[in-house]
Amino acid sequence: MIRFVNVFKTYDNGVQALKGVSLTINDGEFVAIIGLSGAGKSTLLRSINKMHAITSGQLLVDDVDVAQLKGKQLRLLRRSIGMIFQSFNLVKRMSVYKNVLAGRVAYHSTVTSLGFFPREDRYIALEALDTMGILEKAFTRVDQLSGGQQQRVALARSLAQKPKIILADEPVASLDPITTVQVMNDFSKINRDFGITIVANMHHVDLALKYAKRIIGIRDGLIVYDGPSKDINDKILESIYGRSLAHDEVLGVE
Amino acid sequence: MNERVALAYKQQPRKWIANIALAIIILFFVAISFTGSTINWYRLANFSQSFNTMIRGIVDINWAFFFGIDGFQFSEGIVYKTLETLAMAFLGTMIGAVLALPFGFLAAVNVVGKKWAKVSEALLVLIRVFPEIILAIILIKGFGMTPLTGVLTIGIHSIGMLGKLFAEAIDNMDRSSLEALDSVGASTWQKILYGIIPNIMPDLTSVSLYRFDINVRSASILGIIGAGGIGAPLLIAANNWSWNMLGTVLLAIILMVLAVDFISSYLRNKLV
Amino acid sequence: MAHPFNLSSGKSVRIPFNRTIVVFVIIALLTIGFSFFIPVKWHLIRIDQLWVIFSRLFTPSHSRTWGDYFSFMLTLGDPLLATLQMSLAGTVIGCVLAVPVAVLAARNIFKSKIISIPVKLLMNLVRTIPTMILAILATFFVGLGILSGIIAIAIFSFGIMAKMLYEAIETVDMGPFEALESTGANKIVAFQHAVVSQIAPIFISYTIYIFEINIRASAVLGYVGAGGIGAVIKNNILYNYDRVGATIIVMLVVILIVQFTSNYIRRKLQ
Repeated sequence: MIRFVNVFKTYDNGVQALKGVSLTINDGEFVAIIGLSGAGKSTLLRSINKMHAITSGQLLVDDVDVAQLKGKQLRLLRRSIGMIFQSFNLVKRMSVYKNVLAGRVAYHSTVTSLGFFPREDRYIALEALDTMGILEKAFTRVDQLSGGQQQRVALARSLAQKPKIILADEPVASLDPITTVQVMNDFSKINRDFGITIVANMHHVDLALKYAKRIIGIRDGLIVYDGPSKDINDKILESIYGRSLAHDEVLGVE
Repeated sequence: MNERVALAYKQQPRKWIANIALAIIILFFVAISFTGSTINWYRLANFSQSFNTMIRGIVDINWAFFFGIDGFQFSEGIVYKTLETLAMAFLGTMIGAVLALPFGFLAAVNVVGKKWAKVSEALLVLIRVFPEIILAIILIKGFGMTPLTGVLTIGIHSIGMLGKLFAEAIDNMDRSSLEALDSVGASTWQKILYGIIPNIMPDLTSVSLYRFDINVRSASILGIIGAGGIGAPLLIAANNWSWNMLGTVLLAIILMVLAVDFISSYLRNKLV
Repeated sequence: MAHPFNLSSGKSVRIPFNRTIVVFVIIALLTIGFSFFIPVKWHLIRIDQLWVIFSRLFTPSHSRTWGDYFSFMLTLGDPLLATLQMSLAGTVIGCVLAVPVAVLAARNIFKSKIISIPVKLLMNLVRTIPTMILAILATFFVGLGILSGIIAIAIFSFGIMAKMLYEAIETVDMGPFEALESTGANKIVAFQHAVVSQIAPIFISYTIYIFEINIRASAVLGYVGAGGIGAVIKNNILYNYDRVGATIIVMLVVILIVQFTSNYIRRKLQ
């Protein structure tokens, strides 16, 4: 369970990204965060695994205060949280298999992880690839795959961590419409079959509405909507975006 | 777990074996290279002491020798020799760059076609393969032990090096301006002058500046065999184990190279 | 600045000075100035000597036969091996030592400038001294023989590799590094799995490139006492031009082979 209690985040350059955010996300939910660029979506997401440190308030993940964590404890937390990036963040010249294996490094000490991976890890990596349906590409170089396939490799890497939560920062923003739907279906499948909590920043509103059961709307560092996606209407959207939607914020999926 | 996964596990490539084997072979060769050298153990054992003597000698710069005053003729002084070295490098690079230009065109596939380009490329490779010292040894017989030989050595070697780079620049050039010139009815010479040359000038100049940078280092060495430049006093100092003469020469070389490096990087950055 | 052009629309335009002309003038002045340092002593120039030298290099002299000429090439096996050992050992040692230094100097790994600036300064200093001079200095400590050559080449390779490597590290894609940190890996492990795998092929490619440069340098290092083929040339330059010629031919062939092989391997790595 993820709990924000009156969280503030101000960056070193003075920018206030979060101005008193409070919310609770329960295990197994599929939540989409929408809002303008710069509204605070990324900051919100990245505070959960302390990629950005909050300046005040409380952030609890499974009743553990994230702000207090550092060193080994922090890494243990991050190990149980997977992160998906818009630019995939894979090592392009390495094979798919090695990229997914890298998801297991936090399960070993520094010294052992510099050597070889144990058998069990290798099986976990291959299973993850199989779950994502790209096992046959296991030993291909990443830069020979399409964007959609690369994001699936990234998902496999996160799955290899055996996470409880997966955070996705605009995971489909660089993909074409058809691949986007496939990857979003993958997220749904993971959420359904493994019970992993999904928190995703979405650029395309209609996608968010279609796949996530709950929507959080952020504007200017504050939460202006937190409720079921079926209750969203144009008026609510205007309050989140401050205007009617731009045409690139709607993907046009049915 | 399922069969697909088990199969994939069996099929994983194990490249690390080849990598380790290669590394071991290389390390083996490196290790045996150290046998059979004549090591001056006495000097090595007293390393810190000899190092000290060397350093102390080196930093005790003979300023009269440096500037060519006070009993040294100016033309014997290090400052003069440094300028002579720079002159060798500069003129050599100039000659090389100017002569490499037609070679570059002749070796560019886009200009003369694959066959002739390969022929010219082979010629350039032949010129390039001579280490400069060897070239200088040969040229000294024809031109004497003067800096002129140094200029010619550097020039010829640079033709080989620059010719290839020029050809690459011409081949990788953006053709769109040529197309535009065609459409306004320009002749071949005009196309070269207004289409090709302006496009490749920044590349050519940048490459030539880099070559000048390297040539300055070569020019300092050529004096060792008599082709002029600061190499001559360097060799004399080294043969006499005269540390402070050596230090004076080294100071000049370091300053010269640093200055040229700095100027060359600065100019090359401005070109991009 | 040229005279302004007064257009019919009333606007006035000044065409800026043509910088190319300034550049040309500067280059011309430099050329003229520098040429004062290169006096042409006409009485020393004997072009015909060039032809004489050429023939003496490439034909047997001193009542030796062509058989002798070619069999001399076969005796070059040992010095050749020495030269190869010198470049290989020097390149490997120099390049390997450059790795930790480059990592220290790269701005994206250790953010503090206290480390990176003096390291970069040291690297620059090492690179200014030509290899041959390093070899001369080394012979003082370790005597004649290939060890001084190895040291000189190692230092030179270190200088070049360190700079090229830290520049490569600084421009590496940090995305995977960030991703790995987000899975809970610490900096060392994240570096190993995300950065090293990107840098490794570049490092190998650079090493081969530097080896190619060093082969040419080491062939002549023998001239200052570092052994190998250069020493053979030095020993024969006074009286046995034909042997010098034979050695040169062998040297050229070896350099060509190394060049082709290295280009081939580096292209395969891409």
